[in-house]
Amino acid sequence: MKKYILFLLLIPLLLTNCNKTSQKKVTYLATDAVSAYNLQYLNDQNELITTSVEPQSAQDKWKYEFMTDKGQIVYINGSYKDINSALKIQLLVDGKVYKQGATQGDTLRYLVVSGVVPYD
Amino acid sequence: MRKFLVTVVFMLGVAVLSLSQENVIDGLVLDAETGSAIEGVQITNISTKIGTVSDKKGSFQLAVRNNQAVHLLLKHISYESLEIKADPLQNKELTIRLNPKITYLDEITVIGKYDKTRPYRSEKVTLKEMEKSNISGIGNFLRNEPNVGGVRKGALGIDPVVRGFKYSQLNVQINGGTKIEGGCPNRMDPATAHVDLNDLQSITIFKGPYALKYGPNFGGVIDMTTKSIRFYNKFENHVDVMAGAQTNYTGFKSSVGVHGGNNLVGYYLKANYKQYSDYESGDGQIISSSLEQYNVAGSIGIQPAEGHIVEVGLDRSWGRNVDFPALPMDERNDDTKLFNLSYLGTAFGESINFLRFKVYKSNVEHEMDNKNRPFSDTVVAISNIKAINAGGKLGVNLNLFKGRLETGVDYEQISKDGVRNKSLIMQPNLPSFNEDLWNNALIKNLGVFAEWQKTFKSIDFIAALRYDYNTAISDTLIRNKPNGDAVYEDGNTSSSFNNLSFSAGITWNISKKSSLLFALGRGSRSPDMTERFIILLPISYDPYDYLGNPQLKPEINHEADLGYRFAHQKMGAIEASLFFSYVTNYILGELEPPSTVKPQTKGVLGVKRFTNIDKAYLTGFEFTYVTAEQYKWFVSLNAAYTMGINPEAIQYIYEGVEVVDEQIIKNDPLPEIPPFEANLSFGYKFLQQKLTPELNIRMVAAQNRVSVANNEKTSPAYTTFDFILNYRYNEFLRIYGGVTNIFNTNYYEHLNRNIIGSTTPLYEPGTVFYMNLIINL
Repeated sequence: MKKYILFLLLIPLLLTNCNKTSQKKVTYLATDAVSAYNLQYLNDQNELITTSVEPQSAQDKWKYEFMTDKGQIVYINGSYKDINSALKIQLLVDGKVYKQGATQGDTLRYLVVSGVVPYD
Repeated sequence: MRKFLVTVVFMLGVAVLSLSQENVIDGLVLDAETGSAIEGVQITNISTKIGTVSDKKGSFQLAVRNNQAVHLLLKHISYESLEIKADPLQNKELTIRLNPKITYLDEITVIGKYDKTRPYRSEKVTLKEMEKSNISGIGNFLRNEPNVGGVRKGALGIDPVVRGFKYSQLNVQINGGTKIEGGCPNRMDPATAHVDLNDLQSITIFKGPYALKYGPNFGGVIDMTTKSIRFYNKFENHVDVMAGAQTNYTGFKSSVGVHGGNNLVGYYLKANYKQYSDYESGDGQIISSSLEQYNVAGSIGIQPAEGHIVEVGLDRSWGRNVDFPALPMDERNDDTKLFNLSYLGTAFGESINFLRFKVYKSNVEHEMDNKNRPFSDTVVAISNIKAINAGGKLGVNLNLFKGRLETGVDYEQISKDGVRNKSLIMQPNLPSFNEDLWNNALIKNLGVFAEWQKTFKSIDFIAALRYDYNTAISDTLIRNKPNGDAVYEDGNTSSSFNNLSFSAGITWNISKKSSLLFALGRGSRSPDMTERFIILLPISYDPYDYLGNPQLKPEINHEADLGYRFAHQKMGAIEASLFFSYVTNYILGELEPPSTVKPQTKGVLGVKRFTNIDKAYLTGFEFTYVTAEQYKWFVSLNAAYTMGINPEAIQYIYEGVEVVDEQIIKNDPLPEIPPFEANLSFGYKFLQQKLTPELNIRMVAAQNRVSVANNEKTSPAYTTFDFILNYRYNEFLRIYGGVTNIFNTNYYEHLNRNIIGSTTPLYEPGTVFYMNLIINL
């Protein structure tokens, strides 16, 4: 009987170590723009979504948050035509800036911020 | 008064009866390594000198005349003697395990780990050797054997190399015929990576193309024997627990198994879990090598009649986040299923020794990606591959012509399919496309074999014959650009071959102490899945994309082995072997002109296509010495060397990435051959062999014989020192501890690949402290 108890105790110990898939919070953040812009991003279902944003001021923020597994591709691009201001896109993982970029006047109007949710 | 007298008489009667009562101890004696029953063990009650002998099933019954605990002495010529205390009241059913020993009986030659009946070299790794090691992977472990190396690409899956033969030049299998086909084109998951070391009872390496009953054999067979079910006289259960932990390569391994049954049913359930993190090399460099692996397995066997056993088993194993710093991807998920059904019959009278039948199916689903690599910032690549190996074997062993004939048929079918998805994550609209890695590739092999053994006075003779019919086909080999244009396309993918292999050898027992061995063999193997169907991937040690060639011819190894064995009761045992191998249609990669096909991997120099070259030679030796077992101190020494020659190799002359010329290199060394190596171990058995400290010294020479044509790099010499302490507390508990690479030597094996995108080889771990605890109840 003792053997069975030992075995039964050990099996859960082994199995609780299996399949640890901790998720991370991903945030897409678009700021600083004063004119309309288009965004394309991967959502929590791994679908590529296209949306248009019309900010009223540079303080307006567009934000999308979701939980996802480590190793997932995260992707957002924005196209911004106003060369007199900038569109800034940030990609945050668990609240920390993971990747970011901004359009820079007339030199860049199409911006991609992407990566893979890190394992560490 | 009358009542009183009756009571007194009754009590006296009970007392007399109880004093003279015979208790019977029912016992079972098993081999501690194999679990098989031991016949002929002398079991003696030391105090009364009364004893008995175990029967064919290892069972015995011993009457004891009172309820006092008795001391039993168990003796057998092939096993270490054991003295145990048994309480007749508590130990009515006793299972005792004896440890095998090397014995010199009237100077009959019995050399520890070598198979006396075979005239060619084989190495057997025992359970004890595996238990006392800190190593978690089989390929890594096998590197300790003479003339066995391993190709390290990452944390797991070190690919064995035996006498310079590797990959499908070796037949790697489980329990004499079950096969697993890895999914990764870069062999991050060779067959040895799908089996947990803790599940094994032993590993046997048959060197050379001689053992033909195990399937097509070109350069050798590695047979991994798993712990299996047992049958018991009465229903009983046992629990095995193993836990090991180590520093550096920080991690642990754990295993729990329960097995038991009675004489009708036997079962085995087991689970393993291991997890390791990155390790530090001798100079403090952090090597990405984390891994997580676990498996559960179960088997059940039925013995409806004595001598007939049917067993069915299922093994599920998983790998998660296994790092491969020498490859462009890491293993993200691996899910392997292995199904087995077997029958073994031994009760057919005197003319049939046994009849064996088995079918199996292994299913590997392998996912890998580059998500943990810097270049995943621009392209995320995810590969998903499904590899299935299904087959079976039917064999019978007969007493024929005053010898033993084993004959039968075997069948193997390998199918692979898989794609790599690339997402260009820095591009607008996140373009994504698929590339074929394997395109419904299929190989079938049907074989017929026969092996006959006979003893003529002082000569043991063995001969084997094998015929294989091998066919292969794949959907069109195609690689497209992202825009859909074909970079490469080959629709001529089918081929079939008739392969004949044969071998013969003699063991001439010159005296009771020494034997001379000679074997000749021809082993033929058809090209494997990679050599036939790989589509432009950098899969080798050199910076080239490789292209399969469906029209390759089979590779043929003609080998001769000469050996000598000597064993003396006091002087110990020596085994020396020399081999020479002449390979025709040797398969190597040769450069394709850029006009034919362009490389598809960034940073490679071009495309090499697998081609048969005319011939190649390999030669070398092994030498082993072990002291006689009777002494408390022990020493073992082994040394081994292999060299390979390509008589006419082509060297391409580059200016930048352009080939501007080529030249023939005469007698160019074959690439990826390990250098000379010697291992020296010595130790002492204290406390009636309960405590054994052991020092192992491994000396590896520089490898300066490298392929000039392939720009192979030389590797430096190194020496490592390991210390192992083995403590056997009792028959239930063993503890192994030790330190490997004591002096924190910074070294790498010649076969280790470079870290991807660099010229830095993958260094081995620095100093590791470890401890393994093993409980068998």
